[in-house]
Amino acid sequence: MPASAREDRRPVLSRLDVVARGTWILIGVLAGVYWVHQVLRGEEYERQAENNRLRRVPVTAPRGFILDRNGIVLAENEPSFTLLLYRRETKDLDASLRFVAELFNRPFEDLKRRVERDRSYYDFVPVVLQENLTISEVGAVQARALEHPELVVQKTERRVYTQGTAAAHLLGHLGEATAEQVAARAKARPGDPNPPRPGEAIGQQGVEATYQDLLSGVSGSRTYVIDSFGREVGESGHESPLPGNTLRLTIDLGMQKIAEDYFADRVGSAVALDPKTGEILALLSAPAYDPNLFTRRVSRSEWEDIIENADRPLNNRVLQNVYSPGSAWKPFVAYAILTHGIDPKERVFCPGGLTFYGRHFRCHGRHGSVDLTTALQVSCDSYFYTMGKRLGIDNLAEAGNLFGFGRPTGIDLAHEKNGIVPSTEWSLAVRKHPWYLGETISAAIGQGPVLVTALQMARGMSGIANADGALPTPHLFHIGENVRTGERFVYRPESKESIPYPPGAHETIVEGLWRVVNMPGGTAYASRVPGLDLCGKTGSVQVVGQKEAKKGHLLPKELRDHGWFASFAPRDDPKVVVVVFVEHGEHGASVAAPLAARLAEYWIAKSRGGTPELLAEVAGRPLGRAPARAN
Amino acid sequence: MSRLAEVLPRRLDLRILFLALALTAIGIGMVVSTTAGTPRADLAGKQIFFAVLGLIAAGVLLAIDYRILLQYSPGLYGLTLLVLLWLPMFGTRIAGAKSWVKVSGGFQLQPSEFARISIALLLAWILENDDRALLRSRTIWALAAAIGVPVILVMLQPDLGVALTYLPFLLTALFFGGLPGRWWAILIVSGTLAVGGSWFLLKDYQKDRIRTFLDPNLAARGAGYQVRQARIAIGSGGILGKGWKQGTQSRLGFLPVRHTDFIFAALAEEWGFVGVAVFLALYGSLIARSLALARDARDRGGSILVILLVLNIAVQALVNVAMNVGVMPTTGITLPFVSYGGSSLIATWCMVGLMLSVAYRRYVNV
Repeated sequence: MPASAREDRRPVLSRLDVVARGTWILIGVLAGVYWVHQVLRGEEYERQAENNRLRRVPVTAPRGFILDRNGIVLAENEPSFTLLLYRRETKDLDASLRFVAELFNRPFEDLKRRVERDRSYYDFVPVVLQENLTISEVGAVQARALEHPELVVQKTERRVYTQGTAAAHLLGHLGEATAEQVAARAKARPGDPNPPRPGEAIGQQGVEATYQDLLSGVSGSRTYVIDSFGREVGESGHESPLPGNTLRLTIDLGMQKIAEDYFADRVGSAVALDPKTGEILALLSAPAYDPNLFTRRVSRSEWEDIIENADRPLNNRVLQNVYSPGSAWKPFVAYAILTHGIDPKERVFCPGGLTFYGRHFRCHGRHGSVDLTTALQVSCDSYFYTMGKRLGIDNLAEAGNLFGFGRPTGIDLAHEKNGIVPSTEWSLAVRKHPWYLGETISAAIGQGPVLVTALQMARGMSGIANADGALPTPHLFHIGENVRTGERFVYRPESKESIPYPPGAHETIVEGLWRVVNMPGGTAYASRVPGLDLCGKTGSVQVVGQKEAKKGHLLPKELRDHGWFASFAPRDDPKVVVVVFVEHGEHGASVAAPLAARLAEYWIAKSRGGTPELLAEVAGRPLGRAPARAN
Repeated sequence: MSRLAEVLPRRLDLRILFLALALTAIGIGMVVSTTAGTPRADLAGKQIFFAVLGLIAAGVLLAIDYRILLQYSPGLYGLTLLVLLWLPMFGTRIAGAKSWVKVSGGFQLQPSEFARISIALLLAWILENDDRALLRSRTIWALAAAIGVPVILVMLQPDLGVALTYLPFLLTALFFGGLPGRWWAILIVSGTLAVGGSWFLLKDYQKDRIRTFLDPNLAARGAGYQVRQARIAIGSGGILGKGWKQGTQSRLGFLPVRHTDFIFAALAEEWGFVGVAVFLALYGSLIARSLALARDARDRGGSILVILLVLNIAVQALVNVAMNVGVMPTTGITLPFVSYGGSSLIATWCMVGLMLSVAYRRYVNV
């Protein structure tokens, strides 16, 4: 080759230098990019890689059982089967869904919608197609497992309420945690180690809700290594769940059942508690619902039965419904009388009604000349009209407030109503107009604006039953037990309130209430039980004057009065307070008192060490209406 | 013969040979790592077989004087065009592209990979015959046509990734041939227009690739998935990596096409930044050493041939490395020496053989 061949390559050589340097610069830049991702941001990517690789599946802890005070199971768990669809394994979605639709007799579109709803998730997350499969349904799915590998039956646990409707309102039920509930809890408790997950079953009402944390235990987890198809390749670790604590309630199932039987065809509520400790022995609201409906499949008609029932079975009438106390209010007015310098021996003449402020107020009888004790015994309105007028509304309100009315009792159940203890101040603040003096006359016999719950009535009655005036805090929690360690913990809310009785005042009121049941002429004399020393006060609430009454189209039953009976037994050293309220039951004496007497009799027999046979005899004796007597 | 034995080690460029062997060995190691324990575990053995074939092919090309090949390059090129013309009509369709010719034993050849060799030879021959400081227009058109025709034929298969690997030839040829300034202007303007215009010709999945390149978080499971997962693989490798066959992104299948297009991400995951740096240093050394060989070549044709070959490999490698980390769109360009693929590996080794042949004959007095 000639030398000139080398000469004409000079431009090529200089360009080679440019390219060589350029290559090293590009390699340097690329190395820099890798440096940024691998060294500077390495940890962040490592976390993402771990998230890719590991799938943490929460394992729900077995929920604690709920027992009655004697150890009888009220709520437990049983195995349940859930049908899952793995979309990743699904070859023909429509064919899979048609198979499921046919098997469970469900509309194909429903299933389709359910799958569509979860579209946005990764398709290795299974879709829940059907809950609570029966054993035969599980079998039917398993039999076609080869054809439908995408359908998987998962074993879970389901809550079972062994007593059906018997303790529905106090137990409550479980329901899926809503996004709002999860958010609200996260806000209330930042850093909670065991937060509920959306969709997880948590207590929604009753003690299931109040003691959610105690019952739920701590969920564990399993961590799986998965590949990009979501297939489990291995398990990288697991954390066992800590089972929930057993919760023993203060409820006595025997008493609860007596009340339930009595209310089978009635509407109303009953509550029995120990006046010293506040332990609730029975708490019943009728009509009830079966809490198992919420954990099983609820059919549309069952659900409509509950929701559209005019008697609103979901309401816990013991603490969520407020009523006029009627004559059951009189013991508390009696307290106002005794603490404001009025001689209980002072007599008022009852001619069957009296006129105040130009209006005639009727009494249900002509009681003649009555003192306080007699007025309680025969429930003389004229006496209480007269004394109420003399005391004025604010003195009556003071007594009502002292006995715990107008505010929550502090029971360990949510959504408790306050009720109303009217006063001049209340009238101005709430109704925006001054108190009318004529209203005092009605308020003195528990009519007018006075509104109370049955639970408030039971707590107030405890303040009368207890000679020291102690006002207990009603509660359902008895004993919690850690199922692993056997450690027991008792919670007994202390009573911080008590009623101050001037000398003789307590005895006077109790004497009046004893005579109601145990002396001829007493309004609940028909419900006396020998040896029980039941004391109580009947009450009837006129439905006339309520909204329905003003309408023209009144149904006969709706016209009838509500009946109260608030009681305790025995007279000395009371063991039990019982309040019974029957809607449209006409008279407290005829419909409420018999059940109250029976519940008290049962509990006294039990606390005196009564044999099971005796208790069964008490519980099983027929219980009917007592002869009606006005009150 | 005794003279050859004496001269061979002195003339054979052992550095290129060892660097290429090292990269090939790393590639085999990564193919093992990305396929072991999967139904594709047989690929590692195949890759070794291809490497051996590649070495033999390189030896054959080393034995032939490249000047003879340059002389015959128009004929070789014409033959190549015939094969590329035949493919879209009668080729074996794999993964949607008729890019393959069936060979016995269940193997397929991808002629478009080998076409790069005859294209490089033809370009070097053209440039050898126009050795002015600046290229004549006629030569420029000849170069453009020599690349344009096979690009169009390969895009008909359609295989955009391989077609794109032909384009560096044009730029290299023009740059080293000496393109007048006004031609650069025309090239830049028409290139911009072509890129802009081609947006309307691109298939939806190709558009998606570009969109997701611009924003990898666009769709977690959609088109951006590959880019995102590759980046997680690379980033999670950290400084020292997770160790050979320990890459979770790669082994658990989160990394897409991990034994071919994204094999470098697998390497980055398992060997960390240290591995990346070592690998890039090896590759850089190979390129630098090849460019030095071009400088020492005996004649313009040999020099241009080496430049065309090494820059073709270099552009593919850099684009692939950039694509793995998401700084360039996913184009289907593989990593020479490393990515699994028989045709690519053998063709790359043929190119090494040609470069060694030029280097071997760098002294006029042999």
